[in-house]
This record gives sequence, C-alpha cells and structure tokens, in this order.
Amino acid sequence: MLGEKDIEKAKEKARKVKLFAHDVHGVLTPNTFMVDVEGKRRYTFWHMDGFGDLSFNMNGVRPVFLDTSSIDDEGLYRARELKLDKNYYKVTNKWAKIEELKQEMGIGDENVGFIGAEITDLDAMNKAGFAVATADAVDEVKAVADYVTSAPGGKGPIREICEFVLRSMGKWDEWVEKVTKMGYK
Amino acid sequence: MSEQEAVEKAKKVKFVILDIHGVLTDCVLYYADDGKKSEMFSLHDRLGSRALAEGGIGIAFLTSKITRTDEQVGSIYGVPPEKLWGTSAKIGKLDEFEKDTGLKDEDICYVGDEMIDLGVMRRVGFSVAPADASSQAKEDADHVTKRGGGKGVVRELAQFILEAQGKWDSVVSKLSKEG
Repeated sequence: MLGEKDIEKAKEKARKVKLFAHDVHGVLTPNTFMVDVEGKRRYTFWHMDGFGDLSFNMNGVRPVFLDTSSIDDEGLYRARELKLDKNYYKVTNKWAKIEELKQEMGIGDENVGFIGAEITDLDAMNKAGFAVATADAVDEVKAVADYVTSAPGGKGPIREICEFVLRSMGKWDEWVEKVTKMGYK
Repeated sequence: MSEQEAVEKAKKVKFVILDIHGVLTDCVLYYADDGKKSEMFSLHDRLGSRALAEGGIGIAFLTSKITRTDEQVGSIYGVPPEKLWGTSAKIGKLDEFEKDTGLKDEDICYVGDEMIDLGVMRRVGFSVAPADASSQAKEDADHVTKRGGGKGVVRELAQFILEAQGKWDSVVSKLSKEG
C-alpha cells in the first residue's frame, strides 16, 4: 500500500508527464480472449479507458499505444475507434519506441508515464519517470511502481490514472467543466 | 505434500502436459444466439507458455477431443499442432509419448482438474491441480496453484518450475525487454 508520502512523490512525478504509454492486453483488457467453435476471437475492453486516453490527448499528454500483445489487430481497432491511431505502434521492444518518441518530442525520461501489468513491462517500468502498475499486476511490476491503480486491467486503469495525472497537474476540474458542457466526442 | 517436496519434483520437469477445460479455461461455456460456443482463455498463460519454452520445457495439450477452438489457442500459445492431443485414453497417450521421446514419468508434469485426469496425475513425476479443481484432483496433486482454471494457471506454474530450476531470473530479464 502507498503511504501519503508515496502519493505526494507520485503526484510530483505525474506533473512532469508529457507522454503516457501502455500496452494493450493486461492493461486495456483483463488479459483474456474468447475463442468460438470456428476459431474466431473476441476481446473485452473498458469503455471509460477510452475516455482516459482521450482526456490525456486533450490536455497536453500524448497517449501512446505500445502494442506487443495483440493476437489479431484488436489494439489497433481500439486506437482507431478513439481516433488515436497516430499514437498506435505495434512493437517488440517498448522502450526502443519510447526513445524514438522522446527524440521526436524533445522530452526526457522524466516526462514519460507508463502503466504495466506483467514482467514484459519491467524494462519500461524501470526507465519511465512515472511508472504505474494495475491493481492485478504481478509483484515484480508493483515493486517498481510509483503508483498502483485500484482498477485491475480491463476495468478502467487508464480512466483512473488519467484523473490522477490531470489532478496532479491541476487540470482536472477545468477539464470536467469542459466535458460537462460540451461532451468529449 | 510439503512445498519443498513439490519444488524437488519441479526441478526434474522437462515437459508439461496440460488438460484444457478447467485448466486453461474456468469451465464456463458461452453460447451465442446461433448456437456457436465460445470459451474464455488467459493471455497470462500465453506468457507462461513462452516462459516455459524459453526455459527449454516443452508443452502439449491433452483433452478428450481437439476442437477448432483448441487449435487456435495452441497456435496463440505456441504449441505446435503435433502437440495437441485429443483422446480420452489419456494414460495410453502418455505411454506412447514416453516411448517416442524416451522421457520418463519423473520428467513430466501434468496439470488436471477432474477425475479423468487422476490416472495420468498418479503416473507423472509432478502433478498439479488448479485452485478450483475437483477435491479428488487437489488431494492427489503434488501441488495446487493459487490461481483457478482460466486465470493464469500456466503462468503461475511456469514461474514455479523455472524458479525451482533456477532459470526464472534469466527468463524474466529476456522477456522484460522483448515485450
């Protein structure tokens, strides 16, 4: 459990975030897939995680999909639905892509936020300025996280961390007011 | 069986045979309005399968009948078609596999959850049951996972076996960079 001091530290780190990256399965999904008798696959996402990524995008934090885990093109479909396909990358090494984006955006490690769940996220967790674990992340990932969401993968961790980050930046209330008046789509 | 005894057995494992229903799934069947059936699987188990492969440990599925669903899951987990075994004569299949490969009972780990699995579970060197397996399977098993069927049993078992064999840390450092 995070103490008050840890939360203050996490807020300080969250304030610097200019890019927020995540994989697809285990974060946007509960890491499950369904297969029917014909072999067709189905995946479950969380409606309001889309709002989280869009809120980042509208408030100066670039949301980035670093997809190492899609079986079909489910990660791309999700990004497309949110009109974030320009921020979608199918990769094998997450941090290598983040390095490229850092160069392009002229930002440093301290400006990178990352949320992970599995051992395959450890490299990026260790390097990102603000590292977040989902509630059901493996112990190794939680051990190196600055913040752990109360939502598990596929049940709203992006919605939750987006609010934490934008609140830390002091942007949340204004955003809520905007959304209340105009909607977000 | 003590944890230490289970670790000793896990040290010897060279091959893992997995029952599908109740191990890779939680046994729930989803029927669509057109009668087509679906089942839910875990991507934690894809990582578990990959970790075992990195550690030099092979995998097979053993169930009464291999369906199109199982073939898809096999391909997602990296299990080759010749390692998808569909037969209810599970002990006969084990005998055949051992004869073909020269592997012995003690080299093999089997994960099962029901009565049909007991024969194989009693034969192999390291028998495992998911947390929500039938009571007979759990009583017979050398080790019971904390996770239930369909919730990452293979992921947890892979870590247990690879830690016992001292291979886990190197597998983690490899997988952590490759995503």
